Amino acid sequence: MTNEESLQKKKNIYSWLLSFPTMAWLVFFFLIPYIIIILYSFFETDIYDVKAVFTLDAYREVFSKEYFRSFYLSFRLATISTLVCLILGYPSAYLIARSSEKVKNFLLVLIIIPFLTNFIIRIFSWRIFLSPEGILNNLLVFFKITDTPLLLIRNDFAVILVMVYVYLPYMILPLYSNIEKMDFSLLDAAMDLGANKIKAFFKVTLPLSKNGILAGSILVFIPALGAYIIPQLVGSQDSLYIGQIITYKIKNIPRNWPLASALSIMLLTFISLLLVAFYFLHIKFNEKMVSKDDK
Amino acid sequence: MINRPKKSCLLNLTTFTFVIVFLYIPILLLIIYSFNDSKFISSWRGFTFKYYHLLFQNKDIINSFKNTMLIAVLSTIFSTILGLFSALALENKKFKGAKFFQGLIFIPLIMPDILMGVSLALLFSFVKVKMGMLTVLFAHITFCVSYTIIVIQSRLEGFDYNLIDAAMDLGANKRQIFFKIQLPLLMPGIIAAALLAFTLSIDDFMITFFTSGRGFNTLPVYVEGAIRRGTITTINALSTLMIGLALFFVVISKRVRKYIINI
Repeated sequence: MTNEESLQKKKNIYSWLLSFPTMAWLVFFFLIPYIIIILYSFFETDIYDVKAVFTLDAYREVFSKEYFRSFYLSFRLATISTLVCLILGYPSAYLIARSSEKVKNFLLVLIIIPFLTNFIIRIFSWRIFLSPEGILNNLLVFFKITDTPLLLIRNDFAVILVMVYVYLPYMILPLYSNIEKMDFSLLDAAMDLGANKIKAFFKVTLPLSKNGILAGSILVFIPALGAYIIPQLVGSQDSLYIGQIITYKIKNIPRNWPLASALSIMLLTFISLLLVAFYFLHIKFNEKMVSKDDK
Repeated sequence: MINRPKKSCLLNLTTFTFVIVFLYIPILLLIIYSFNDSKFISSWRGFTFKYYHLLFQNKDIINSFKNTMLIAVLSTIFSTILGLFSALALENKKFKGAKFFQGLIFIPLIMPDILMGVSLALLFSFVKVKMGMLTVLFAHITFCVSYTIIVIQSRLEGFDYNLIDAAMDLGANKRQIFFKIQLPLLMPGIIAAALLAFTLSIDDFMITFFTSGRGFNTLPVYVEGAIRRGTITTINALSTLMIGLALFFVVISKRVRKYIINI
């Protein structure tokens, strides 16, 4: 054995020892719990717990119309809020990225302050703002836009609005860090070669920021799919999102843990498929870039 | 390359202004109304500190605040130590299991927190552990550790290994190299990781909601309950204090900012 090989071997042992605590921790608290979810989804329900009897009841129930609607609502929420975040976030990120160093830092802080403010409190602030006795309604009545206060809260619109509000920084920050690294001389080159502003944007800027768009979209879309507390605090009890159903079945009596598990598995499967799709999209984008560079 | 600042077009500026107004209006109103001397939010009845006084007399709030801090401090310490070890281990890309480990670190970052909450709730009931402070702590360490590893890793990436060679040439032993060179250079990354873990821990609602028992509340869980019960008045004041805390964090931690952006 050469000296180098034995050194590498020694290094590997060190690495194992150093990573073992965390690896064991994540296996026990992250991986095994998912296996338990899978296990529970095949059990029979009890109003407090589960009975360890094999059944497919939970899966049969998952495919009923009621839950299909919840999945649809969550999917719609995720799609719309991702799109709105993108539409609002892209120009903002672009503006920040192209500002001078000093202004840039200030603008970033402006985005980050709400991002670090407690999640529940940000949702709560909208409840106050939109409530029937709230400011917005007072203003609407004062300016005679309506006679009676509008019901602005407890509907799907409020859920989307607050979702966008809470997750907008998650879209802006990755977009910003992507656009900031962009080589803007390419844009100048395109303009010099006669492209107008719009054409230069769609042919140069947008393709170059694909990775940022992808990252931001994942960060908004996936949490939106599993949203619980936003629909719970500003949504209507007539339209329950999948996160609410899962939470109710875990926490409220009569409990139904097998059903909650099966619904979680469906959500997990859907997200995994989505991530695989995103991954291939990401590879395809980058391949295209490389092949373009080769020419 | 010169990255010269360019005049941004009107569309960007308009959108950005709209975004900032959108982000700040509800928060500002919340702050203003925490000083409102009225039980109802509809009318302004003059300035008061009444609710701040009430806040500090509320034992539940004080208790859940203490719990939040306790959990945040403990989970920060544990997850930062675990994060440091793991980042150092992953520096060696050749060790078996590095890929599996990296995957195990990344996946928790993208899963919605409801799934982690549900899975941990089922785990604790499966192994028959009573929910309470300990289960919340375990849960918080679990979701913080991926973040701390990634932040410290990104600091390690820029590490100049010539420094270690130089130290070895000058006769330093391994322990000296680690404590006198590597650790001090890693310190900004470690601090950033710790601050990020701390913020994540005090902000978490969903996972705590699933893993805390009846007797153990953190502040976000308490606040959510109070909102649902409709005891709004002191919540405004409490929110204002928490926004102040967030502001404080932004000011003291330029580094956290840098890493949040780069993740």
